[in-house]
Amino acid sequence: MNTYIWLVRREFWENRAIWVIPLAIGAFMLLCALFGRPDLMVASSAALGRTVGQAFLGAVGATFFAVMSIYAAWYLLDCLYADRKDRSVLFWKSLPISDATTVLSKLATAVIVIPAVYFAAADLTSLLMAFIISVRASSIVGGALWQADLWLQFQVLWLYLILTTAIWYLPVAGYLLVISSWAQRAVTLWSILPPLALILGERWFFGTHVIAHQLGVRLFGFSDVAFNANLASWASAAAADHDAVRTPADIWSFLDFAGFFSSMATWAGAAAGAALIVGAIQLRMRRTEL
Amino acid sequence: MRVIMPALIEARDLTKKYGAHVALDRASFSVGDGRIVGLIGPNGAGKTSALRAILGLTAYEGQLRVLGREPFRDRTALMQDASFIADVAVLPGWLRVDNAVDFVAGVHPRFRRDRAAALLAKTGIAGTRRMRQLSKGMKTQVHLALTMAIDAKLLVLDEPTLGLDILARRAFYDALVNDYMDETRTILITTHQVEEVENLLTDVLFIDKGRIVLDSSLDDIAVRYTAIAVAADQIDAARAQKPFHERRLLGKTVLYYEHPDMAKLAGLGEFHTPSVSDLFVAKLSGAAA
Repeated sequence: MNTYIWLVRREFWENRAIWVIPLAIGAFMLLCALFGRPDLMVASSAALGRTVGQAFLGAVGATFFAVMSIYAAWYLLDCLYADRKDRSVLFWKSLPISDATTVLSKLATAVIVIPAVYFAAADLTSLLMAFIISVRASSIVGGALWQADLWLQFQVLWLYLILTTAIWYLPVAGYLLVISSWAQRAVTLWSILPPLALILGERWFFGTHVIAHQLGVRLFGFSDVAFNANLASWASAAAADHDAVRTPADIWSFLDFAGFFSSMATWAGAAAGAALIVGAIQLRMRRTEL
Repeated sequence: MRVIMPALIEARDLTKKYGAHVALDRASFSVGDGRIVGLIGPNGAGKTSALRAILGLTAYEGQLRVLGREPFRDRTALMQDASFIADVAVLPGWLRVDNAVDFVAGVHPRFRRDRAAALLAKTGIAGTRRMRQLSKGMKTQVHLALTMAIDAKLLVLDEPTLGLDILARRAFYDALVNDYMDETRTILITTHQVEEVENLLTDVLFIDKGRIVLDSSLDDIAVRYTAIAVAADQIDAARAQKPFHERRLLGKTVLYYEHPDMAKLAGLGEFHTPSVSDLFVAKLSGAAA
């Protein structure tokens, strides 16, 4: 366990972007709150106030989550390749740390540590923004941003997203790690080429598009499996009837916890992801040069 | 009671192929306790492949035991007792000197932090500096300080002074011999610059085209090999004793023999024990030189 903590710390030293990017996003948002026009947020009634509150938390959260997804993918693609590129892999391998531990520490950094950093940054940013806006704007706007139950619901949503995306996108993460421990150069290009070749090959030789479909489901089908209805309808339901989503517990009716964890696609993907991670570890054991 | 220890490194028919290219061709050798062994060969002879196999960095064919373990399968356990400097340039540029010490102290049970601190203090390199800000010589000093602070039974050095100037090279080997080496340790060094290490070696392994062509202690070399410098009029008599290599030098010819009949060579010229570098050239270029 101690070794994992040191390995994660090491990732922070190497990839300062892990905290610099969320810090920069947060700082930019705070500047907007400080110098923007919060009075443009119209909240004339309590019902509208909920929508404003949700839109506010949703916008902040979605921005952080989108950037995080892109950064985590880039990190996975780079992490093992970077060690070989600067030859430091020979230093890391002179220490009594197994390749499995190393690869798993990088996976954990991407699916647990980085999301946790962004989660904390999103929370901190929305708190500070709400504070700044409520000082600067009318009390009704300010009030719309201080709804404890809404706030708690977003905490649940974030935690649910971190957990479920980690499992759902495990095959993607495993695939990126394989490319990162295997490619000689141009990791980004190599990450795109094999699936593209498979899709085109299948079309030309068999006239079918099973791979393209499966890939589409994996990349874009997450919300169908993880949510009962899409998140937009949550917002509109709340707007139409502000009693619809009232208490923190109510968010459960939108998160399809049981559906996600009983879905065949979830576990088939997780198994494929595990196999790819084993492959990445095997490659890491054998490849020390570019 | 004297306990008979198995050799620290025991290789039998060690083979490594890269596609059609055979980098190691059934190499067999062993390295004993407390020795300083030079693995010496020309470029592309298989030195690095042998070291990679010994350090568990690559899969191989044949039998190999290092400190009683199979390196590729047990690299993690092996690295508790063995350490290596693959190349001076492998410390990542973003790593700070003090963070490097913290990290190794955190993950290596045999790392002695006080020792690393003392060694680093001697170099005068500030802990807050990053590796990319250091010269190659300074980076080597940092790497050596980290490695020497590990209580390892086996230290492997692969071309450790490549790209260093003469001052840094001398400092490297002086630190190694004076501050590190004792009877509990074994060092394996590869280099293609034989002159630089021959004074500190106790044993040599010559490797050529993936095969071990000489496995000997320096003491044995003195017993086994003889060189004699003869004038032109004695050359036929000297050649009759089957030298394995000849070399023309300043008007004389130096002939190299393995286990010669000293009585028959007596009086033909001046005897000396060949140096490691002479022997290396003699062994690798063969009789036709």
